[in-house]
Amino acid sequence: MDLLLQTGLNAVYAASYMALIAVGLVLIFGVMGVINFAHGELFMAGAYAVVALYADLAVPFLLAVAGGLLFVGVLGLVMERALFRPLRDNPLGGLVASIGFLLVLQALAVLLFGVRMEHVPPATQEIIAFSERVRFPLQRLWVVIAAIVLLSGLWLFLKKTRLGWALRASAQDPEAAALQGISINQTARIAMFIGAALAGVAGALSAPLVSVNPHMGHSVIITAFIVIIVGGIGSLEGAVVAAIVYAFIHTFVTTFWDGVIADIVGLTLMLLVLIVKPTGLFGTADRA
Amino acid sequence: MIRKLRLPRLSRRRFLGGTAALGAAASGLTGRALAQDKVVRIGFLAPLTGPVAAWGKPGLDGCRIWGEWVNEAGGIELSDGAYQVEFVSYDNEYDPAKARTGATKLIREDGVSFVMMLGGDTWPGAQPVADKTGMLFSTLLPSDLSPDTTTLVAPAEVHPVYNVTGVEWLAENHPDLKTAVMCAQDDALGLPSVATYLAAFEAAGIEMQQEPILFDPATTDFAPVVTKMIADNPDIVCLDTAYADYVHPIVEQLFQQGYDGQIISCTADFYEQMIEKTSKEFMEGFIFQFPDFDDPALNQDFINFPDPNRFYEVYTERHPGEWGAVSWEYASIMDLWKAAAEKAGSAEPDAVLAAMKEGGSGPHAFGTAQWWGEDLFGIDTALVGNWPVVVIQDGKARIQEFRSIPDWYDQHGELLKKHMADYGQMWDQRA
Amino acid sequence: MLKVLGWLVLIAALIGVPHVLSFSQQEILVFLTINVLLVASYRLLTLTGEWSLAHVVIMGVGAYASALYSRHFGIWVPVSAGLGALTACAVALVLSFPLFRMKGFYFLIGSFAAGEIIRLLWKRFREPFGGPKGLKRIEGMPDLDLGFYTFDFFEPVAYYYLCLVVVGASLWVMWRIERSPVGLTFQAVHWQDKLAEAAGVNVRAWRTLAFVIASGFAGLSGALLAHYIGTINPNSFEVEHMVFVLTWAIVGGTATLYGPILGAIVLTVLNDILLREIGLEQWRPLIYGLVLIASVLFLPKGLESVVQRATRAARPAEPEPKPQEARP
Repeated sequence: MDLLLQTGLNAVYAASYMALIAVGLVLIFGVMGVINFAHGELFMAGAYAVVALYADLAVPFLLAVAGGLLFVGVLGLVMERALFRPLRDNPLGGLVASIGFLLVLQALAVLLFGVRMEHVPPATQEIIAFSERVRFPLQRLWVVIAAIVLLSGLWLFLKKTRLGWALRASAQDPEAAALQGISINQTARIAMFIGAALAGVAGALSAPLVSVNPHMGHSVIITAFIVIIVGGIGSLEGAVVAAIVYAFIHTFVTTFWDGVIADIVGLTLMLLVLIVKPTGLFGTADRA
Repeated sequence: MIRKLRLPRLSRRRFLGGTAALGAAASGLTGRALAQDKVVRIGFLAPLTGPVAAWGKPGLDGCRIWGEWVNEAGGIELSDGAYQVEFVSYDNEYDPAKARTGATKLIREDGVSFVMMLGGDTWPGAQPVADKTGMLFSTLLPSDLSPDTTTLVAPAEVHPVYNVTGVEWLAENHPDLKTAVMCAQDDALGLPSVATYLAAFEAAGIEMQQEPILFDPATTDFAPVVTKMIADNPDIVCLDTAYADYVHPIVEQLFQQGYDGQIISCTADFYEQMIEKTSKEFMEGFIFQFPDFDDPALNQDFINFPDPNRFYEVYTERHPGEWGAVSWEYASIMDLWKAAAEKAGSAEPDAVLAAMKEGGSGPHAFGTAQWWGEDLFGIDTALVGNWPVVVIQDGKARIQEFRSIPDWYDQHGELLKKHMADYGQMWDQRA
Repeated sequence: MLKVLGWLVLIAALIGVPHVLSFSQQEILVFLTINVLLVASYRLLTLTGEWSLAHVVIMGVGAYASALYSRHFGIWVPVSAGLGALTACAVALVLSFPLFRMKGFYFLIGSFAAGEIIRLLWKRFREPFGGPKGLKRIEGMPDLDLGFYTFDFFEPVAYYYLCLVVVGASLWVMWRIERSPVGLTFQAVHWQDKLAEAAGVNVRAWRTLAFVIASGFAGLSGALLAHYIGTINPNSFEVEHMVFVLTWAIVGGTATLYGPILGAIVLTVLNDILLREIGLEQWRPLIYGLVLIASVLFLPKGLESVVQRATRAARPAEPEPKPQEARP
C-alpha cells in the first residue's frame, strides 16, 4: 500500500513538470506555427539561471526561480524577434533556426559552466511524511504547486482576458485575427514569453532535483514530444491530460516493471494514439 | 562565487601557448633549446564536446599538468637523448567514424607515438587503423579488449572487475548486512558492472532481493526507481557504475524517501555535493572505489603515481569542481608509458609495448600489477593488481584498504564468468 | 558540347581530389560521399512536401540489415548491401501506414517517434542487434582485382572510388525519377495537394512511393557506412545526426538536386576541417549553430540560390533577374 501511494506521489510530480514543459511547447506551436526544438534547452537555461543566481551568487532560491522565469521568458522574446518573426512564412526555417539556437545555448552552457554537471544545493530539506515510506519532499511539492498555479493562471488568462482571446484567435486563424485588428507581433511575443517561461520555471524549480548539465534538455524534449503527440499537438488541455496519463503510466511501469520497458510502453502508447486518432486525443484542426 | 562566469581555461591556454611560442623563438639559437627541440607526441583521441565530453575533457586537462611536470623535469629520456612531451588532441565526439578519421590524422599526419582513447563505441572505429599501422593504443574500458586487439592496452582501470574489492571489504566489515538491491543504466558501462556486482555479492553470501533494475540512460527523475529499490527494506543499495549524473539524484532520493541502510557504488564523483544535498550522517560509510588524490594513503611507497597530493591540488586549483576519476587516469597511463619508453630507450610502439609487458607485470598507479585478462577478454592486456576501497568518513573520502583483485579472482573467478556470460559480456559473446 | 566538357572536368576533378588531400581528409571525403547519398535521398522524400526525422534511422536499418545478412547468412557483401537497401524500403513501407495518416508537423514528430522506437529495439534486443554497443567487426567490402590494379577497400581512396560509382549511379537514378512523370507527380502532390487529389491522383500512395524509394537509397548509404567503418551502434543514428542531415538540406536548398549536396560539402568542410585546423575544436557546436541560424535568416533559399544567381549572371543573354525581394 505504501508502495502504491509513494508511486502515486512520484507520478504527480512527474506529471507536473511534464505538463509545464508540454503546455509551453504547445502554446508556441499554436500561435507561432513552429515546433520549438530548443524547448528542452530553455528548460536547461532555467536550471542554469538557478545555478548562477542561487548556487553561485547566493540569491534566495525562490527569487532565483523568478529570475530564471524572467530570463528564459526573455530568451523566448529574443527567439521571437530574431528568429521566428523573420521566418514567419517559413515554418521549416523556424524549426531549423530553433535547432541552431539549441546548439548555441548548449555550447554557451559548456563554455560558461564546463562540461560537468553543476551542483545546486537543496533549497529546503523539509519532507512531508505521510508514513515511514510515503514521503513527499517540499521541493517537489513546489513544482506541483507551480504547475497548478501557473497553468490555471494561463487558462484564466486565455479564457477571460482580451489578450487571451486575441491569442486564441490568432492561433486558430492568423489571417482572420489580423483582419480583426489583432497584432500578430504582439500575440507572438506573449506566446513566446509564456511558453519559454513555463519551460524555464520547470527547469529552475527542478534544478536541485535533477542533474544540471549542458545536455539535460535532450531527454526532456523527447518526453515532451511524446506528450504533445498523445495530447494532440495544438491542444493545451490535451497536453495537460496527456502529461498526467503519460506520467502515471511511465512511473507505475518503472516501479512495478522496469525503466526501459516503461519507455517502450510510452512510445507504443503514442504509436497507438497515432494509428487510432492521428491528431491526438484532443487534437481537432489539421494545422499542418 | 561567480568564478565560473569568467573564461579562465580558454584565455589561460591561449596565453600560455603564446608565451611558449615567444620563448621558443627567443631562445631558438641556444644549444639547450636545440636539444629540447626533440619532441615526442602523444595522441589524445576522446570526446571533448557533446554529452560524453565529461569522460574526455577532464582527462586532457590532467594530461596537460602531467606534461608540464615531465617537461620541467627534463622530459623523457630515450636512448638518443631527452624528449619533450606534447599532447595532440582530436575530438572524436564519441562517434566511430570520427574516431577513425582522428586516429588517421594523429598517426599519419601528426606523427604521434601513442594514442590514448576513452574506448567504448569509438574503439572499433579506430581499430582498423590501429591494426594497419601497428600503433599502440590505450583504453579506459577493458571491454574493448579481445584476442585480436593486440596493440590495445587497458592499463589504468579494469572496469568493472575492481568493484569486487568494495563488496569484499563490506562483507568483512559489516557481516550483519545480508540483503541487497541494485540499479544500473542499460548501457555498455552498466551491464558488465551489474554482472560483476552480482558475482561479488554471491561470493560474499549477500542475497539479492530483486532483479537488478535497469533504467534508460535518458532518465532524469529517479524517484520511481528508488521507490522500487527500497520497497522491501534492503540492507544494501548498490548503484552499480552509474555516472555522477545518476548517482547524485539517486542518492538524494534515497535520502528523501527515508532509506537509512548501506550504500555501495563504483563512483562518487563530487561526493561533497551529495553530502550537501543529503546530510553528513546519511553519507557516512558510503563505499566506492575512487579516492581523492589528497588522501594520505596514496603517499605509501608502493604507489606509483608521482606526487598525487600535489597533482590533486594543482588540478583542483586550475579546474575547480572538475575533479573526478578520469582526471588522473589518463595521466597515470602516461606514467606507465613513460616508464616503458625509457626502459626501451625508444618511443616506437612495438618496443614500448614489449617493455611495458616485460615480465608480465608493470607499475600501475596503485602498485605493481599483473598483465591479466585471458579469461575474460581472451588476451592479457589489462593491468590488474590492487585497488583501493574508499569510504566516506566524517564528510571526507578516505582509503580504507588496498585489496587485491587477482586474489579475489583466484577464489571466485568462475562466479564472475558465469554472471558475465548471463549478461552477454564475455569477449566471445560480444557481437 | 560545352556541357559534355563540363561533365568531363567534374569527373576528372572527382577522380583527382583524393590525391591532393591529407590522409585524414581522405577519410572525411569517404564519409562525405556517403552523406551525399543520404542527403540527396532525403531531398527526394521532401519533394512530396513531407519532412521526416526518421531518415537517419532508416539509414541505420540498411546498415544493420546489411551487416547482419553478411554475418549470419554469409551473403557476399555487395549483395547484402543491396538487400540492406531493400530492407530499408520494406521498413519504410510498414512505417508508412501509421505515418501517412499524418501530414506536416504531425508527420515530422510522428516520424521522429517511429525512429526512436526502432532505436530502442536495437538497444533492447542484444540478439541479433548487439544492444547499446551495437555490432562490431562487420565484414568489409571484398577486394576487387581488375588484373592490372587491385582495389583494397580498407584504403580510403579505393573506398572513395567505390562510393563515387555507387553514389553517382544512385544520383543519376534519382535525377531520372525526378524528371519522369513520377517525379512530376511528386511535385504536384506537394504543391497542389487538393488539386492532385481531385484529378484522381492517390496522394497517399505517391507519398508512400517517394518515402520507400528515398528510404532505399538511405539504406544503401547506411550499408556503405557499415562495411567501411566496421562498427555501428544505436547512437550512430541518433536524432543529432538527423539534425545534421536536415541542416545540410536546408542550408544547401532543396529546389535542385545539387543544393543539399552543396550544403553537405560546405558544412562538412567547415565543421570537420576548417574549424579544427584553426584550433577552435571545442567551439564547433557554437559556431555551427550560429552558421545555421545565419543561413536560414539571410539565405532562405539556400546556397543553391547563390549558384543560380552566379550562373545567370554568367549568361548575359538572359535578362538580369529581378533583385531578390527585400524583406517585408
